[in-house]
Amino acid sequence: MRHVIIGAGAAGLTAAKTIRILRPEDAVTVISADEYVNSRCMLHKYISDERDEQTVSFVDEDFFTKYDIQWLKGKRVTHIDSSARRVSYDGGQLDFDTLLIATGSNSVTPPIGSLRESENVFGLRHLTDAQAIKTAAADAQDIVVIGAGLVGLDAVYALVELGKKPVVVEMADSVLALNLDAHAAGAYQALFEQAGCEFYLGFKVTGTREKDGKITHVELDNGESLPCDMLIVAAGVRPAVEFLQESGIAYERAINVDEYLKTNIDGIYAAGDVAGLSGIWPNAMKQGEIAAKNMCGQQEAYTDTFAVKNTVNFFGLVTLSVGEREAQEGDVVYILEDRTCYNKAILRDGKVVGVILQGDISNSGFWQYLIKNKIAVDNIDKPVFKLSFADFFAIDDKGEFYWTAMANEG
Amino acid sequence: MKRILIDMDKCDGCLNCSIACMQAHRADHKTSSVYDLDLTDTANESRNTILLDSQEHYIPLFCRHCDEPECVKACMSGAMTKDENSGQVCYDEDKCGACFMCVMNCPYGVLKPDDNERKRVIKCDFCEDDEEGPNCVRACPTGAIYIEEVAK
Ligand SMILES: Cc1cc2nc3c(=O)[nH]c(=O)nc-3n(C[C@H](O)[C@H](O)[C@H](O)COP(=O)(O)OP(=O)(O)OC[C@H]3O[C@@H](n4cnc5c(N)ncnc54)[C@H](O)[C@@H]3O)c2cc1C
Repeated sequence: MRHVIIGAGAAGLTAAKTIRILRPEDAVTVISADEYVNSRCMLHKYISDERDEQTVSFVDEDFFTKYDIQWLKGKRVTHIDSSARRVSYDGGQLDFDTLLIATGSNSVTPPIGSLRESENVFGLRHLTDAQAIKTAAADAQDIVVIGAGLVGLDAVYALVELGKKPVVVEMADSVLALNLDAHAAGAYQALFEQAGCEFYLGFKVTGTREKDGKITHVELDNGESLPCDMLIVAAGVRPAVEFLQESGIAYERAINVDEYLKTNIDGIYAAGDVAGLSGIWPNAMKQGEIAAKNMCGQQEAYTDTFAVKNTVNFFGLVTLSVGEREAQEGDVVYILEDRTCYNKAILRDGKVVGVILQGDISNSGFWQYLIKNKIAVDNIDKPVFKLSFADFFAIDDKGEFYWTAMANEG
Repeated sequence: MKRILIDMDKCDGCLNCSIACMQAHRADHKTSSVYDLDLTDTANESRNTILLDSQEHYIPLFCRHCDEPECVKACMSGAMTKDENSGQVCYDEDKCGACFMCVMNCPYGVLKPDDNERKRVIKCDFCEDDEEGPNCVRACPTGAIYIEEVAK
């Protein structure tokens, strides 16, 4: 049996390893546009010179030999023929019995002014992007970053470490608007401002001015224009599905998958960002593992779909954010704040629907499970921020922990 | 694999386990003794803790080195791995990117960032350098924690 995996990211390599362990005899091939295995979450550490091509990897150097996986690196898949069960790439073709599409996403550049055409505009998604940013940043003075989400701020953080003082333009009224509430976000904004960054929040980029193929200014909706010799656009991503045309594989924005992560075609699966179920690393890994099991004939559904969770760490200020960030009418909100921390919990019908912990996230992992499993806490005689796994503690005869509340709910 | 098993009924919350863990993980642990351990020095954080439930029962919270470790499945740097031979969940500080998604994903809230710099994860290493095994277990006066071989 030959298993082919497109993509050497979180989902792809987790799947490759899982297949190898389940099926020692089968052939496993990974094909990736990436020439180096890299963790997107660490690309900012590449830009800031903290890591190089080798140390942005998330697997050991001997991964492919150790697990006997064939890796075609630096190869881009251009077409899939699902009836002939064949993948075409720049330089050849591969036949498969089962196929996993784990191509992640690409950054989207909005069609504003000449953002899409100019040579001094960069996205941040691949190591090649980080390499290009690093090279360009070396000679850049005025750097504008569009988008203050996690990816945008990763870029800004790296540039700050290089001694730059980027200017950030963001449509929302706060940084990290999809991840935190305004209060927690404000703490990061203040730290970035202390480091010399400037923020234009609540502003849209409406146009650009250019010279010799390069953007020299971006124009904002208040009429202001910001000089720049380099731009980073972190305004969102789109699942990487461009090679699926005429493949017979059904997709809309992302690839359509069922609960086993199978596409509309038997034996062809999708996992990670490209399946559109999540855009975060832990979920991509889990999907890779589950798709692999199904590819090996072990039926297992992808059930741990919860994806509204983040941790943030800039300047040593850490934040955990799980679930809803803003309260609705009728919710009970608890806030605990002092010089060192900001904690907020939102309760609805006796259950926690969202939590933000900033400053100290020690021993906080249980919150995600409390929230995603909708476990009642109003019957526990304790202040909400004193809750811990102790209140749900159970242990089996092998010494593994489990949640009593979950056991009760069956 | 070996696991630290927990008999909650025997725990009387003395925290000897935490003190032993702090001593075992201080920088100069080989040449120092618990008698001059600085309990307020955040460089010596304990990997284990004892929690209280709402009835004030002691609940010893020790890393399980889980069969299906969520921390490993959340790790984006390759720092957190499940050792196929020993079964332990190992943490490589040098590889860690300090994103703390492992902290977020531990279903039991065992993990935490280090208090000093928030650059690494405080995680049980089963006292890997110590031939006599986990110090917490040896320090427990009641037998509430003990080591047993469990099926993988
Ligand atoms: C800057 C940045 C920071 C992030 N930080 C975090 C974070 O802190 N926490 C978090 O949870 N998530 C974070 N994410 C998101 C996280 O990186 C993704 O969710 C995760 O990488 C998704 O894994 P994946 O396997 O689906 O795709 P990817 O890891 O993106 O891998 C895709 C693979 O497919 C290959 N590929 C794509 N198209 C083709 C093709 N046509 N032919 C061949 N190969 C192809 C690529 O080369 C690559 O190897 C961040 C992302 C970015 C960009």
